[in-house]
Amino acid sequence: MMKAATYSPAPATDESTQFVSAASLRLRSDWFIKMRWGAAAGVAALTLLAGEVAHIPLPREPILATAAVLILLNVVYAVRNRRVAPAVIAHELRVVKVQMLIDLLLLTVLINLSGGLENPFSFIYVVHVLIASLLFKGRDVYQVALFSAVLFSFDILGEHFGLLPHNHLQGGGVLTHAPLYMAVSLASFWLVLFGCAYVGASIMRHNRTIKNELVARQRQLVAADKAKLDFFRFVSHEVKTPVVTAQSAVEAVLGVAGGEMSAKAAETLRRAVRRLNQALEIVKDLSDLTRTRMSADRDVAEVNLSRLVGKLLAEQGELIAEKGLVQTTALPPEDLVMQANETMIEKIFDNLISNAVRYDIPGGALRVSLLDLGDSVRLSVADEGIGVAPEDRDRIFDEFYRTPAAKEMSALGTGLGLSIVKRFTEQLGGSLQLDSTPGTGSTFTVTLPKS
Amino acid sequence: MKRTILVIDDDIDLVEVIRLTLENAGFDVIDAQSGARGLELAREQGPDLIILDVMMGVIDEGFQVAYELRGNDLTADIPILMMTAVSDQTGFGFDPERDAEFLPVDEFLEKPLSPQRLVDLVRKHLPATA
Repeated sequence: MMKAATYSPAPATDESTQFVSAASLRLRSDWFIKMRWGAAAGVAALTLLAGEVAHIPLPREPILATAAVLILLNVVYAVRNRRVAPAVIAHELRVVKVQMLIDLLLLTVLINLSGGLENPFSFIYVVHVLIASLLFKGRDVYQVALFSAVLFSFDILGEHFGLLPHNHLQGGGVLTHAPLYMAVSLASFWLVLFGCAYVGASIMRHNRTIKNELVARQRQLVAADKAKLDFFRFVSHEVKTPVVTAQSAVEAVLGVAGGEMSAKAAETLRRAVRRLNQALEIVKDLSDLTRTRMSADRDVAEVNLSRLVGKLLAEQGELIAEKGLVQTTALPPEDLVMQANETMIEKIFDNLISNAVRYDIPGGALRVSLLDLGDSVRLSVADEGIGVAPEDRDRIFDEFYRTPAAKEMSALGTGLGLSIVKRFTEQLGGSLQLDSTPGTGSTFTVTLPKS
Repeated sequence: MKRTILVIDDDIDLVEVIRLTLENAGFDVIDAQSGARGLELAREQGPDLIILDVMMGVIDEGFQVAYELRGNDLTADIPILMMTAVSDQTGFGFDPERDAEFLPVDEFLEKPLSPQRLVDLVRKHLPATA
């Protein structure tokens, strides 16, 4: 099956979550465990206080038993967090969600035992939904909200229809006139408001820290990339001069005395020329890579893409014929023309086409198509060659990287062609896509905006 | 009479390589390793053609030399082949075809050049013998 891999400059991340890693989510989970200890202690304290001080007849034993269940479960959660290393974000999120649903269930039991609708602590559901909205996304958030709503409604309606027991908070009288009830209501309201504020602020603070870290890393990467290119430029310039001189020297000797020396000696010198030419190819690619860098907007001229494709295919004609490739070319009916930096476009097209020719199997198909997409243009080059293994998909765009299969197939190649393609495509605001199956072929597709 | 080629390049090894090729092809070769010395030799000896390197010590020394050669009546008509190892290192990013008007040379070439091509180009630009 063909798989598509679109090149993206950002590191691969799980976009379904705000968490950068399972470990950062685990920090959250540890924090919930702390909150749960607080909740259990609060329930126990309030129950004792209600009985001893306020003389509210609450079913003390069942409430304390529920708190005990919460503590027990929390012990299990804490042990798990210690023992099991965080690995997959999605899995960690599921665990946190299940824990939250159990919390909501226990909350409902507690609410039922302590007055149902009369208990102002029913606001605590809201805090859970808020936490869920910050942690999860989409459907999971609504599941938590629905679960909360259903549980609370079940209790209220159950009590109303006599299916569940109702435990009065206070015997008789109008609740709102009771000073204690007013005080507890207001207290729980304040608690929920500031609880929400705390939860939101703390999670967002965590996110900002991550974001700042990412921005800082991004800056470092840009700086490192520039340093690398400066180094490449330096190397290519410093290496080229001596290699040119050496290459010229050997060629001059061959030209002057090639006829007089033995065939073996002459062949040895020709080998030297070939290797020096290979070094010059690398230097040339390196300087291409660094040259047009800042100048995507410079030297903009009208580029006839149709003619360019024709020219590049003609340049490869000899090799295409030699390998017996079956060439199919699909060009727009009229010449496709755009305003752009011609050098960059030519390097992109040239590298893609010559790669396809180089790595295609003898007698394989070579399909080149150029499309006018209105605002953009698209060049697609398909071969039936060695293909790209999934694990090499991102690396083939790295400087100097050549896949083992590519090295086996062709000793030539600098490992710079695709990184030139990638860089120039990015600088022109375009995108690059690779469809490939190892052993079956590759299709490289580059899409470039017209302006 | 043998025609004389002046090679102005600070890379002595490359000068010797060019000398080998051109002398083998029947030319006399004189050389200078600096722009100043090159101008001097050009005026004194009136070579038939000049091969000039862009770079040398100063970034645009080759261009300065070319302009001075063109500006002097003694040397204004001598054909100049300008060579560069790294076409973008100058920062001008010029194109010999496009920028020929302000480039006061007859040919602008990127090294390396095969010996045959060098000899062909020299022959092409040499003025017909009087």
